[in-house]
Amino acid sequence: MKTLRRIGLYAGLTLAALTFIYPFLWMASSTFKPPSEVGTLALIPDQITLDNYRTMWARAPFGRALVNSTLVATTITLAVLVLGSMTAYAMARLQFRGRPALNAATLAVLLVPGQLTLIPLYTLIVQLGWIDMYAALIVPYLFNATAILMLRQFFLQIPQSLIDAARMDGMSELRILFTIFWPLSKPVLSIVAIFTFMGSWNEVLWPLLVVRDQQLMTLPQLLTVFALGGGAGSVGVSLASAMVLVVPVVIAYMFLQRNFIESMAGAGIKG
Amino acid sequence: MPSVSFEHVRKRFGDSTVVEDFDLVVADGELLVLVGGSGSGKSTVLRMVAGLEEVTSGTIRIDQRDVTPLPPRERDVAMVFQDYGLYPHMTVRENLSLGLRLRKIPRQEIDRRVTWAAGTLGLAPLLDRKPKQLSGGQRQRVAMGRAMVREPKVFLFDEPLSNLDAGLRAQMRIEIGGLQRRLKVTTIYVTHDQVEAMTLGDRIVVLADGRIQQVGRPIELYRAPVNRFVAGFIGTPPMNFVEGGLREDNGQVFFIAEGFSIKVPRGETAKAMEPLTLGIRPEDLCVDSSGDRSVEAARPGEALTGRVVLVERLGGTPCASRPARARTRPAGASPRPGRDGH
Repeated sequence: MKTLRRIGLYAGLTLAALTFIYPFLWMASSTFKPPSEVGTLALIPDQITLDNYRTMWARAPFGRALVNSTLVATTITLAVLVLGSMTAYAMARLQFRGRPALNAATLAVLLVPGQLTLIPLYTLIVQLGWIDMYAALIVPYLFNATAILMLRQFFLQIPQSLIDAARMDGMSELRILFTIFWPLSKPVLSIVAIFTFMGSWNEVLWPLLVVRDQQLMTLPQLLTVFALGGGAGSVGVSLASAMVLVVPVVIAYMFLQRNFIESMAGAGIKG
Repeated sequence: MPSVSFEHVRKRFGDSTVVEDFDLVVADGELLVLVGGSGSGKSTVLRMVAGLEEVTSGTIRIDQRDVTPLPPRERDVAMVFQDYGLYPHMTVRENLSLGLRLRKIPRQEIDRRVTWAAGTLGLAPLLDRKPKQLSGGQRQRVAMGRAMVREPKVFLFDEPLSNLDAGLRAQMRIEIGGLQRRLKVTTIYVTHDQVEAMTLGDRIVVLADGRIQQVGRPIELYRAPVNRFVAGFIGTPPMNFVEGGLREDNGQVFFIAEGFSIKVPRGETAKAMEPLTLGIRPEDLCVDSSGDRSVEAARPGEALTGRVVLVERLGGTPCASRPARARTRPAGASPRPGRDGH
């Protein structure tokens, strides 16, 4: 009876997992199918072809868009990690005038919907003359309130004695952050990195507003313009361009996901 | 030459004063123990010496140099923390050497000091392990080693044994005492455990509410406490206190409390029946469990009668408690609960 229940449980879970993974696998396999096969539900193509990727690459500057997206997403992710953790460290562990106000202000930023700031931000970018520049894609995202608050919460849990010991050892506050806090904060840094990278990588609306030059377009932006503008011509080509968009995020997730579980914080203290 | 001196040091956190007029000189090579209950300000004093807390007013000098405005790294002090404060992601060797590397000490010298500390503390086989692979006692040794390799002018210990079990605590206490005597480095040691204070300290400072209550050698504090707080804090089991007053009778002075009277030596003058507190060390009482009430009649003022309600058997020393308004913890005989005793 117990075995039967277990078999039923696993069967249900497998079915649920397949429901989630099937569309992605279908999309991946369809990019290698000729146009005649794309309409079928089969996962393994009868005939494998790279024509969809060749067509996509030939019709629009996807290589350049890939470079642009990588540059923008990587820069934003690094900046959010470095600047965000510096801010979070100060908010969590340093005593200074105005700290409660800074905490409250950071929290308040979360309550303002992003769409609300689009127009003032766009006006600012126009005034600065940053339209069709990387700065327009990067600078507004250098600080991220969610990341700061997540890092702050994590930093609050690190024992004060580690900071004291590091100060006694002669470290500056910046050194404490990057030599002691960062190695102990891998789980939260990984989560922040993945969410920031994905958020930046998938962003469409903002690049559509501030970039018109095709050579500066990010991947999802170009993909939107390409697919919605009818440039793809076929479902296979559209799926191939979507695949190019998804793969780097999956790779980034695989690279960082082990840090989600692993936590070293607390091992050097009592217990 | 005094090694550490505090000149009217005061510390406030917002509106509350946690250390008030702390004025003291710690001699070169001395092991001074700061002892007191929670919130007495002892750890704050230590953190002010370390530079981890700012001094509100007053001056702290180390070897006559005013270190009050200096950051921790410029004070030439090393500290052992209550929860060790070891860097979890570094090996024992890296934990020991990091402070030296940051001070740009030559590599050979770092290796020499790490080898010496590891040898002294029995850490040599553990140098490539991470803290989570060590027991509590081993982590404690690493924390001490990290302080030793710095070769500082002053060691600061902030309740270093409070996370260890009783057996290990006793062992580490002996090791710390021995090490300090060998190295002859001025040491300030904070604890709430008066046994640690009595066994380790050359001198003890008893703190309460941020103020020094008494400074002296352990035996001085035990034999001649200056106030009730010190009397009650030092000594295990603690001193018994009885509220009452004096009365003179036939040339003899008696302390009279509700339920009993006891003869006391004629000393400082006190007005008749002025409210007083009598303190009696448990070891100065003995239990006569024969139940013979003639003892009290034969030697008036030398015996208390009461019923033993609780016996705590501590091995060599049983502890008996009497349910009086005058609470006593006599020791020395082998009392049994429920029997009358004198």
